[in-house]
Amino acid sequence: MDLFLQTLLNGLLIGGVIATFTIAFQLTFGVLHVIDFAVGGWVVLGGYLGYYVTALLGLDGFAAIPLAFVLFGALGYLIGPVLYNVRNSRTARPELMALALTFGLFTLLRGGMLTAWGFNTRNVTTFLSGESLAVGPVIVPLIRVAAAVFAAAIAGGLFLFLYRTRYGLAIRATAENCHNAALMGVNIRRLSANVYGLYAGITAMAGVLMGAIYSVNPEVGLRYTLFAFFVAVLAGLGSVGGAVAAALMLGVIEAFVSTYVGSSYSLLAIFATLFVVLLVSPKGILRRGL
Amino acid sequence: MTLIHRSFSRRRFLGGSALAVTAGALGMPFVRTARAQAATFKAGVITSLSGDNILGGNLTKQGYDLWAEAINAKGGVEVGGDRFKVDMFYGDDQSNPATGADAAERLIVQNEVDVLFGPYTSGSTIAVQPICQKYQVPMISGSAESPNVWKAKPEFNFGIIPSVDTTSGLSLGVLAKTSNPAAKTVAVISVNEPFSKETGEGFRDGVKAAGLDLVAYELVPPEGDLTPVISKIAALKPDVLAVGGHEEILINVVKTSKSLNYRPKALIMHYGITNPAFAQALGADADGVTGVVVWLPTVAYKDDLFGTAKEFSDMATKKMGGEPDYTAAGCAASGLVLGDALKRLGKKPALKPEDRVALKDAIAETDIQTFYGPIKFEKDGPHYHDNVQPVPVLVQIQGGKVVAVGPKEAAAADYIYPLPAWK
Repeated sequence: MDLFLQTLLNGLLIGGVIATFTIAFQLTFGVLHVIDFAVGGWVVLGGYLGYYVTALLGLDGFAAIPLAFVLFGALGYLIGPVLYNVRNSRTARPELMALALTFGLFTLLRGGMLTAWGFNTRNVTTFLSGESLAVGPVIVPLIRVAAAVFAAAIAGGLFLFLYRTRYGLAIRATAENCHNAALMGVNIRRLSANVYGLYAGITAMAGVLMGAIYSVNPEVGLRYTLFAFFVAVLAGLGSVGGAVAAALMLGVIEAFVSTYVGSSYSLLAIFATLFVVLLVSPKGILRRGL
Repeated sequence: MTLIHRSFSRRRFLGGSALAVTAGALGMPFVRTARAQAATFKAGVITSLSGDNILGGNLTKQGYDLWAEAINAKGGVEVGGDRFKVDMFYGDDQSNPATGADAAERLIVQNEVDVLFGPYTSGSTIAVQPICQKYQVPMISGSAESPNVWKAKPEFNFGIIPSVDTTSGLSLGVLAKTSNPAAKTVAVISVNEPFSKETGEGFRDGVKAAGLDLVAYELVPPEGDLTPVISKIAALKPDVLAVGGHEEILINVVKTSKSLNYRPKALIMHYGITNPAFAQALGADADGVTGVVVWLPTVAYKDDLFGTAKEFSDMATKKMGGEPDYTAAGCAASGLVLGDALKRLGKKPALKPEDRVALKDAIAETDIQTFYGPIKFEKDGPHYHDNVQPVPVLVQIQGGKVVAVGPKEAAAADYIYPLPAWK
């Protein structure tokens, strides 16, 4: 029973961790209609920022989180219009061109980081790293709780922003129908740049946490891209609320299969779930996707 | 709009031809000098001199060169009272096995080498083996560590470093003897990818051989999260947690265990804790982690050419600009095997094709003591032609430094066991 409770907690926390970098990913898909392959690249960039902030400045890893938002948010803001132009160009298959562009961006980030910072694995230390709390028989790893709280804050913040502000209304309108939104006076190009900047910033912030929970090297980006994509498919592409539910579901499946069946089957179980969901409910588990 | 039409130009053709002939002629002297040097043994080094594995590739090249320089400084390899120098030729596999096979063929056909020194990676080694078989040229591999190299029963290839499954397997026996009170139960985690899985299987099989109990054997996908598997193992309370993987997963195992407030009495990992980046990334949390190496400068072995392991290490440090690890040592020891086999063969250069086959047989009979340890090749079984003689050295990170802790004759410090609980 103790192991069962511990496994449940592990699963929910894995879900929280995955949710940190998938919520904004979903928003980008909803607004820009682009599957951003570079999501893992932004995560790794955030991780490295965390490492350098701790190693060079001697600060706590958490200090890198706001910095990551500002720095990579600005970078994303600059890249956003390029992505928008490619996505809305008059080439034959603009959606595929946009996918290729983000794949190229991902490859560039990965190669650039490998050249600039080498292949050694780095670590981000925070005051919560390695700390835990014993609640009855269950050990609660605090750094993962921080990630889950972060995910909840991002989800809550985005919800308020999208549903309670005028600009959020414009974003939702654009996601629903960008032509009508443009006719209502929304500057789609600027809005796209803002959304991509917001997404890059949030994802890089999550990256600092990933560096603190796991570790960071230029090669780990691909696995974040994969998991973001799994969650997106499971949630229904573009559904922000579904992303949280899907991440939690994946986390719990991974934890229970690892503990009670065998770790080598955990990814198999995830793929099988994905397959079944695509067959039964292609719009995602909450049926809200595109 | 004008249409540019490039027609055949006699002048351009003649000019181009002259350039090509000049370039060819410039290249010729090198070929001629190589052929002109008679009465030397020719050894080809095939390794990664460019691409992803350039670091390791150069390590192997430096190791082989250390031997060539040392033996040539003595006048060369002794055969029947005379001494013959060794010429080294280099082939680059560009970190790609297929290219390695091509480069090996070039070394054999164009440079007419008598023997090959093997690549840095096991992948390239496996690719080069059929070439050695085809041309009947022996190869001595100072770096390859995968058991798959030897499962193919390569007739012409010989390995200096024990394959990773024996290294990791034997290390648990050393750990059981070194720990006090003796460790009894073991759980094994390994990453589900070729090299790490073989390491994990070595640990798993070594548990029985060392008379210990295996409580869990878990293969984890490289992308998976470790909390579930660590929680599961923590509940089983094994004395020893053995992990097969590269440094990233090793770092994550330590971090995840600490975040779940779980610390086994011993945490043994292979491969990668000797990389300084491991201790750097984990800081104080790296302390107490146990690792396995095949060779350290502190081991108590010696030979006539290099002297003791320490003397070899000092000499190599001067020439390489850094302390040699076991790969560089294994490569230098490959040369000792060749020197010994040539001496016993008693044939003077240049070797004929049938002499090379006889050289292969002479190498197979190797039974020598070197600064690197004893060298003797298996004649049968899954480690055919691999040298499984050396007993692995157990190392532990203490105060951020890697120190030898077992077996007793190689130990430089006491083994910290059991590990204290996390603070």
